[in-house]
Amino acid sequence: MRALRAELSKLATLPFVWLAFAAGLIVPTGIAVITSLTGTPGPDTGFSELAVGVLGAIILGVAAIGSEYTTEGEESAGSRQITTTLTAIPSRTQLLLAKTAAVIVATALLAVVAIAAVFGTIHLLLGTDAPALDGQALARMGGAATYWVLMALLGLGLTVLTRNGIIPMAILVANSSAVTVTYLLAQSFPAASYLPDLAGMRMFTTVRTSVEIAPLTGGLIMAAWVTVLLLAAGTVFTRRDA
Amino acid sequence: MLTFEHLTKTRGSRTILTDITFKARPGRVTGFLGPNGAGKSSTLRILLGLDRPTSGQALVDGQRFASLRDPLRSIGALLDGSGAHRSRTGRAHLRWVARSAGVDNTRVEEVLELVGIADAGNKRVATYSLGMGRRLGLAAALLAEPAALVLDEPINGLDPEGIRWIRTFLREQAQAGRTVLLSSHLMGELAETVDDVVIIRDGRIVADGTLAEVTSDHKNLEDAFFALTADRGQR
Repeated sequence: MRALRAELSKLATLPFVWLAFAAGLIVPTGIAVITSLTGTPGPDTGFSELAVGVLGAIILGVAAIGSEYTTEGEESAGSRQITTTLTAIPSRTQLLLAKTAAVIVATALLAVVAIAAVFGTIHLLLGTDAPALDGQALARMGGAATYWVLMALLGLGLTVLTRNGIIPMAILVANSSAVTVTYLLAQSFPAASYLPDLAGMRMFTTVRTSVEIAPLTGGLIMAAWVTVLLLAAGTVFTRRDA
Repeated sequence: MLTFEHLTKTRGSRTILTDITFKARPGRVTGFLGPNGAGKSSTLRILLGLDRPTSGQALVDGQRFASLRDPLRSIGALLDGSGAHRSRTGRAHLRWVARSAGVDNTRVEEVLELVGIADAGNKRVATYSLGMGRRLGLAAALLAEPAALVLDEPINGLDPEGIRWIRTFLREQAQAGRTVLLSSHLMGELAETVDDVVIIRDGRIVADGTLAEVTSDHKNLEDAFFALTADRGQR
């Protein structure tokens, strides 16, 4: 519990995490404003915004680990925090579990606020034209929040392996916003539909590739990817020199 | 008591440490001295469970550091720099360390005062000078009032006033019964502070004893150090 409290305290005081919260709220809400004013509402109204807004969750997951390894020149006071972290919590398994739990808590919080902001905006702007918030919509919102949490953990796991946030951040953020490499890949190779992001998106969007995957199955496939990645990250993290 | 037993560490084909064996005892300041790159930091990192030895072990009161239930109460450590992320404030850094040890925020304020950076507590670590960063790292080490202090090059980056302060401070810590192990490549600064001396050269211990024993027939610790660590081929 102490380890979890320390990790939550770290997240709360890291400016990069505030940036992640800002991005996770402003990006999808901003897109929701634009689409509500210009487009006609469809089955993915609100949800396609959240598919892009996930970049906030990715930044959060990557920053949680990346900040441990930030280095600077000899003349600066800032230095690799991982040495302090591991002298405070020497059990690496315990540390990684605490970090994972802290990221889950923070990302779930971010996702809930972002979902409320996006759908609040849509209802404010579209009024009665807005899609109904029925049971199915709520289930999809749950799916979107799960997707955000799993994407944050994907970023966390990759960053444990690279010990540097830049590469995982670039790959995951670009893939979820600018150029959806995995989606393009799935056009030619059906197997690519089982990649974590494409499988997980079934939980809340009507994304279609040549392979049909049910929402729950998609979520389980993504969760399996994340579990395998975290186990690999844990194995590497507990064995290598800090 | 900190015990190093036959530590050996290789990285690839390079041998960094060979059969490192020595003790740091309670109530005494042990100076772990050697030129840059001799293996001081590597030895301390193994003690703290940051790096793995190839063989041998380092123990804290007979236990491996990673298996301690309350690590920050056993050892307060200061390694390179401040050990703090640049964009967090000094106070926020100490607070998360405090959380991990179950220490409350009043103690955070105490250590900020103690090391003399209370005024800079709300500033980001990126704005700190090297010396302030070292003081912040020391503050984190002292948070849980540990039984032992392990300090890697503690006087690096400190101004003369800071060096004077830390010497007095470490003597007081030893007098209070704590184990103090500090590494340094600066001999002159430390001769008055240490009780025991361990000298490392090229990853091997070349001298281990009380200050008087190691200095023995040399004029002073510095002379003894250079006699022990000089490249024999050159001199």
